[in-house]
Amino acid sequence: MLPVIVVHGGAGHVPKDRSDVSCVGVRDAVRAGYAILQAGGSAMDAVVETVTLLENNPAYNAGRGSALNVKGEVEMDALVMDGRTLASGSVSAVRGVANPIQLARLVMEKTNHLCLTAEGASKFARAMGVPEVPAESLITDYARMRWKKNLLPDANPVECQMGKMGTVGAVAVDKEGNTACATSTGGMLNQMEGRVGDTPCVGCGGYADNLIGAVSPTGHGEAIMKVTLSRLILFHMEQGQSPQEASDLALAYMKERVNGLGGVVVVDTKGTWAARFSSLQMAWAAAQQDQLHYGLYHGEDFIEPICV
Amino acid sequence: MKTAIVVHGGAWAIPDALAEASVAGVKSAVRTGHAVLENGGSALDAVEKAVRCLEDDPVFDAGHGAVLNTDGEVELDSIIMDGKTLATGAISSVRNIANPVSLARAVMEKTDHVMLTDRGANMFAERIGFPSVHDLVTEREREEWENYKKFSVGVKELFNLQCAHDTVGAVALDSLGNVACATSTGGIRNKMVGRVGDSPVIGSGGYADNRSGAVSCTGHGESILKVTLARLILFHMEQGKSATVAADSSLQYMRERVQGGGGAIVVSPTGEWAARFTTPRMAWASINGDILFYGLNPGEEFTETK
Repeated sequence: MLPVIVVHGGAGHVPKDRSDVSCVGVRDAVRAGYAILQAGGSAMDAVVETVTLLENNPAYNAGRGSALNVKGEVEMDALVMDGRTLASGSVSAVRGVANPIQLARLVMEKTNHLCLTAEGASKFARAMGVPEVPAESLITDYARMRWKKNLLPDANPVECQMGKMGTVGAVAVDKEGNTACATSTGGMLNQMEGRVGDTPCVGCGGYADNLIGAVSPTGHGEAIMKVTLSRLILFHMEQGQSPQEASDLALAYMKERVNGLGGVVVVDTKGTWAARFSSLQMAWAAAQQDQLHYGLYHGEDFIEPICV
Repeated sequence: MKTAIVVHGGAWAIPDALAEASVAGVKSAVRTGHAVLENGGSALDAVEKAVRCLEDDPVFDAGHGAVLNTDGEVELDSIIMDGKTLATGAISSVRNIANPVSLARAVMEKTDHVMLTDRGANMFAERIGFPSVHDLVTEREREEWENYKKFSVGVKELFNLQCAHDTVGAVALDSLGNVACATSTGGIRNKMVGRVGDSPVIGSGGYADNRSGAVSCTGHGESILKVTLARLILFHMEQGKSATVAADSSLQYMRERVQGGGGAIVVSPTGEWAARFTTPRMAWASINGDILFYGLNPGEEFTETK
C-alpha cells in the first residue's frame, strides 16, 4: 500500500474550462510526487515538490495565480509538517516569494521557530538567499479581473470565492511509513491586508503525525479554523474511524456548526487514503500501487496506470 | 447557574523576585473577571477584562512589560474565542497596542476574518480608532534583553534555561452556560522578527466550545503548536476525562513527544476547573463560588474568601 500521495487543487465550483486545467495540474503534480516516493524519497520531499509545482501553475490560488487582497496585492500563507517528529514550519502573509511552501520548510529546518509572518518572513527569506520576485510576477490577469469585480459595492467575495478556492495541498506516506503534509494558498479573494487564514495554522491548515496519518484541507478558511479541521479528522481516526469516515464526519460537523464548506485529502499510516469535500467540486488526484486516481465531482474516481 | 473563572500569568521558572508580584497580579485579574460574571456579564467580557488587567500589569510578558524581539522591538500576539458560536478573533505580530486582547475581539466582531497579522493588524487598529502607544517597554525588560544579547543562546535553550516567558490567559463560564477563552503574549525574548508562537493560533494558544469547555495555554510556544495543546485537552474531555486529568495527560504527552514544558488553565461547561503545569512555576488564580484559589509552585492551592 506504500508509498502513497494525495493532492488537491482546492474545493469550490469552477467553470468547465478552468476545471479541466485544474484537473490536469493535480494529475501532473501527483505523478511528480509519486516518482520521488518510488525512488525512495521522503514524504516531506514529495509533498513539498508537489506543492511547488502547483504554486508555479497559474491555475491555482497559490504562488503565481494567488487571489489578491483588497488592495490588489498578493499575500501568501503556507505550512509543512513532518509526521515523524511533529516538526512544522509556516509562513503567513508573505510577499514576493515564488514558493512559500519552500520558505515554510526553511522555517522548520533553519530556525527554532515554527511560524514567521509578513515582513519578518521576507527578512528571513532574504537571509536564506531565497530570491525575491517582483510582486507583479505572481499576479495573473484572471486574479486581477476577479479582484476588480469584487471591489463593487454589491460584491460578495465569500460567495464568489467558492467559485474558485484553489488552495493547494498534498499528503503522503513514504516507503518507510513516514507521513507529511503541505498546504499553500493566496488566501481569500479581496481579503483585508494582513488576513491570515487556516493554512499556516497547525491543526487547521494541515497536520501530520506518524502515529495517525496526515491531512491537508481547503475551503472557507475561517470555518476550517473554528473547528481545527485537520486535527479533528485525525482525532476521529484515533478513535477508529477510517480516513473517509473521519473526513465525512468532520466536514459535516463544519457545515452544521459554523456553516462552512470545504474539502480534504487524508492518508493513514497504512496507506488508506481519502479525498472528500462538501463543496460542489474539488480537483484531486492520488497515486498508489502504480495507479493514478483522480476526480472533480462527488463520487468520481477515475483510474489510469502510471507508467514508471 | 454557577460561574467560574481561572487566569494564568505564564508557566516558566518565575524568579523569586517576581513571585509575589505575579501572584498579586493574577489574584487582582481574577477578581476583575469574576466581578463581570457576578454582574451577569458574559464569559467573553470576563476573559477580556481579566486579560486586560494582566496586559496592563508590567510584571507579565503581555501588553506593558512584553519581551523584546531580536531587533529590540515589541511584537504582540493574542486570541479570544466565544464557545457559543466558535467565533474567534486573533492578531499576530502587532505593535504599539496596549491591549491586544481587545484588538483580537474587534477582529472577531468587526471583520469577516479570524486573524490579522503585522501591519494589516495595525492598520485595522488605526481604522477603528485604537490608540497607538509607545510605552510598552519596561526598564527591566530593556536590561534583560541587553544582558541576553551579550550571551546569545537559542530560544529552546533559553526556555529550558528558564528565563523570561510568561504569556497570560483566562477562561470563564458565565451564568448562561457559555464558555470563553483569551490569551495574550509578547512571545519569547530575542525571538526573530515576525515570529508567531502558539498564542494567536486557534486550537494551540486557546480554544473554547460550549460543548466541551475552554482552555488557555502557556509555555514553549513551538511545542504547544506541534501538539495543538488547547484542542488536545478538550478532545480528552470530550472522551469523558476530568479537566485535571485531561490537562495532565496532554501536558505529559507534550513533554514526551516534543520535549516541551508548559501549562494550561481549563474550565468545563459544568464549572469544573483546573490549573496545571509541567514548568517549575505558574502563577494562577481562580474564583469558584465564594472562594478564591491561587498558587505558584507545583501542588500548591491556597484559598481565601474572595
